[in-house]
Amino acid sequence: MQTNDFLHAMILTELEDAVGAENCSVKQIDKVTHSVDYYWLSRMWADRGKRMPEADFVVAPKDAQETSRVLKIANYYKIPVTTWGGGGGTQGGAIPVCGGILLDTKRMNQIYEVNTESMYIECGTGAIYKHIEWAANEVGKATMHYPSSLTCSTVGGFLAHRGIGVVSTKYGKIDDMVLQMEVVLPNGDIIYTSPAPKHAAGPDLNQIFIGSEGTLGVITKAQIRIFDQPEERRFRGFLFQDMSGAFKASRELLQKFKPSVMRLYDPAETASLIKKIVGVEKPGAFMNVAYEGCKEMVEVEEKILLDTFKKYGAEDLGSEYGEKWWEEKITFFYPGHMMDLPQMFGTMDTIAPYGKIEEIYRAMKEAIETNYPQAKFIAHFSHWYEWGAMVYDRFIVDGKDVPEDPVEALRLHQKIWTTGVRAAIAHGGVVNDHHGVGIKLGRLMKEQYGPAMQVFEGLKKQLDPNGIMNPFKLGL
Amino acid sequence: MTENSKKHVDSCRFCWMCRHICPIGNATGLERNTARARALGLSLVNRGTFVLADVIDNVYECACCGACTKECVTGWDPVMFTKEARLDAAMEGVLPESIEKLIDSCLETGNAYGLTEVDASFKEAAAAHAAKKDILLFLGVDAIYKVPKASVNAMKVLEKAGVSFSVLEKEPPSGQQLEYLISAANETKEQMIACAASLNEFQKVVVFDPQDAKVFKREYKEWGVEIKAEVVTFTAYLAELLEKGALTAADSGLSVVYQDPFQLSRDLGETSEARSVISAFAACNEMLCHGKDTMWAGNLLMKEWMPDVILRVAADRIQNAKSVGADTIVTASVSEYASLKAVAQREVKILSLEELILGI
Repeated sequence: MQTNDFLHAMILTELEDAVGAENCSVKQIDKVTHSVDYYWLSRMWADRGKRMPEADFVVAPKDAQETSRVLKIANYYKIPVTTWGGGGGTQGGAIPVCGGILLDTKRMNQIYEVNTESMYIECGTGAIYKHIEWAANEVGKATMHYPSSLTCSTVGGFLAHRGIGVVSTKYGKIDDMVLQMEVVLPNGDIIYTSPAPKHAAGPDLNQIFIGSEGTLGVITKAQIRIFDQPEERRFRGFLFQDMSGAFKASRELLQKFKPSVMRLYDPAETASLIKKIVGVEKPGAFMNVAYEGCKEMVEVEEKILLDTFKKYGAEDLGSEYGEKWWEEKITFFYPGHMMDLPQMFGTMDTIAPYGKIEEIYRAMKEAIETNYPQAKFIAHFSHWYEWGAMVYDRFIVDGKDVPEDPVEALRLHQKIWTTGVRAAIAHGGVVNDHHGVGIKLGRLMKEQYGPAMQVFEGLKKQLDPNGIMNPFKLGL
Repeated sequence: MTENSKKHVDSCRFCWMCRHICPIGNATGLERNTARARALGLSLVNRGTFVLADVIDNVYECACCGACTKECVTGWDPVMFTKEARLDAAMEGVLPESIEKLIDSCLETGNAYGLTEVDASFKEAAAAHAAKKDILLFLGVDAIYKVPKASVNAMKVLEKAGVSFSVLEKEPPSGQQLEYLISAANETKEQMIACAASLNEFQKVVVFDPQDAKVFKREYKEWGVEIKAEVVTFTAYLAELLEKGALTAADSGLSVVYQDPFQLSRDLGETSEARSVISAFAACNEMLCHGKDTMWAGNLLMKEWMPDVILRVAADRIQNAKSVGADTIVTASVSEYASLKAVAQREVKILSLEELILGI
């Protein structure tokens, strides 16, 4: 849309009418703070003193009704709408690359109901996840969704990008944790998904919008599952001398019971992050396993774990390192512990069945290290299923090897990502496991899905014919 | 901005780990009300993309309560660079107009509110303690000018304990308001030096307002302003009186939660003294985010330029109390008391420590 000062002022009055003038901003500080998320490229851009694309209007609706009004205005004027939760995404999904309206959800932070009979919390999707965890804790329950961004990100942000937490092996991913959702469609209609998440009433509407990254509508309310606090949670650290043994041991364990935490660090990550934060000095692949629930069950699970891992030559390190890891599980991500500028880095998490995951790990490692000798490759495997696992692999380029020119740095970043993710796809992996796609990986969605992409494109065309919702994200 | 502050700014500019405990951010839901947003803005100033005037309003949307600093496991300190940015703004002459006015009032009248008249009840109570004693009860500008009832009650509590003390007829400002507004500016230090001279007339100074106690015990030392008198917080002094038997325990039958002022709990590490006093008069329970993790409940100074936000901050804190089933919040900060009182509905009662002791 071509805009001008007059039209800009007119639209602003309409948006102010929709959400209240105090919830609608054109201030520079609001625009700039919504222009940089956790995506390395946006951070690098700002680090070099350059301004990322900014929204024209920053609006904060309080509920579905106000969201609906905003989307109707946006549709009429054909203005792009980018939804922003906490901004903690790594894929550039929340960056308003085409300007327009930035719809910040954090005013939709109400906790409407804590239901301990059906075990869910109904809340606005702008609620910070830690706050709903507090609400669950107050009634002796827990959300069991503990990602590193627990304190920064919103319920909607996790839903939009299919997030995951550290106890996912037992309790599931965010897409397993939702009952019903309220969604505002691009045309302003307010819809509700099925009142129960398991049914035979057609495809699952929840799963159409979860992971849609704001391209098909705005999720404004959700019922999020809560769980009893475990009677007991125990940790056990192990050291494997070969990764293959670790995969086999873990696969076998998962056929017997579901631990809550399972994290296997490759020798490179064990020797770097794990050594620094958890204190494991010995060479090898460190693995932490937590198991929890009723005390009697935990006793049995511990025996099964020890017996199974012993068969595959794991060295039992006791509970100390595992407990330390639990205490420090978020410390890894604080500036000073985490990779940071001037380094270039990225997490190319992917997921695959057991028959492929080890091969994918080796293929990605080889692809990165061969093509980009300046890049270091480290990985851990942190979300496990009966059928497969996720590899959380990262490349890190030292600051001295990162081009000073931001466009050249962007080009190198793009190339490394393309190489790594193509290697994953070529060996049977998925373009991403739990960070989403955003603008970072949109170009690879068609490579992933081929003709299946038309399903997403068809949904987009039907629901958002004007293409206003988060353009250029998710490859849509 | 100093190189050290720049380092902290550059660390915080892409990190949101402390978002959940920011009382202002929680109340407004605004992205700019995060330590990260403030750091991002300042990092762009440091890189020449913005000028300080572009972001200075946002720099004044921070309570400097230190919850973010406490939360950071790496030790980054958003309060430090926020205060430094305020000082820079004062030096550059780019302060927001509303802040300029408050500073002018501080310099002209000794308080940011520009008040010169005191309430008759306060005047009368203070007159009874005009004579010079070894102990000074330092009340602070909020208690004297904005909540005189609190001053009167503080005096009554000490009277009840049989303490012989003085109250200054014209109490000098501690400098805490200027410290908050423009940090280590010369004007702040001048107020502090003048105040220290008054305090040094006494052997012991009992400091009623935690905002004053914080600067007396921290910034005065950091900036080399010497207080020879022994400085003790009001809460610590009450705990001492209770232990000595000068104050007598009396069960009010109430079950309460205590709102820790961050100046006491985080800045000065004092968390148990008020609880021991409360426990002598009521059952003392805890709400979410207490002790060193306390969540600020608003103050009178920020209410001057962010009144609606302060009401929401206080309302959020009341909600924390309600969530644990509490019907009474006890405060030890006159400023938080006033903020909470302004929004308290019937279901939650706000009591100052003095009111609890006096059975009001």
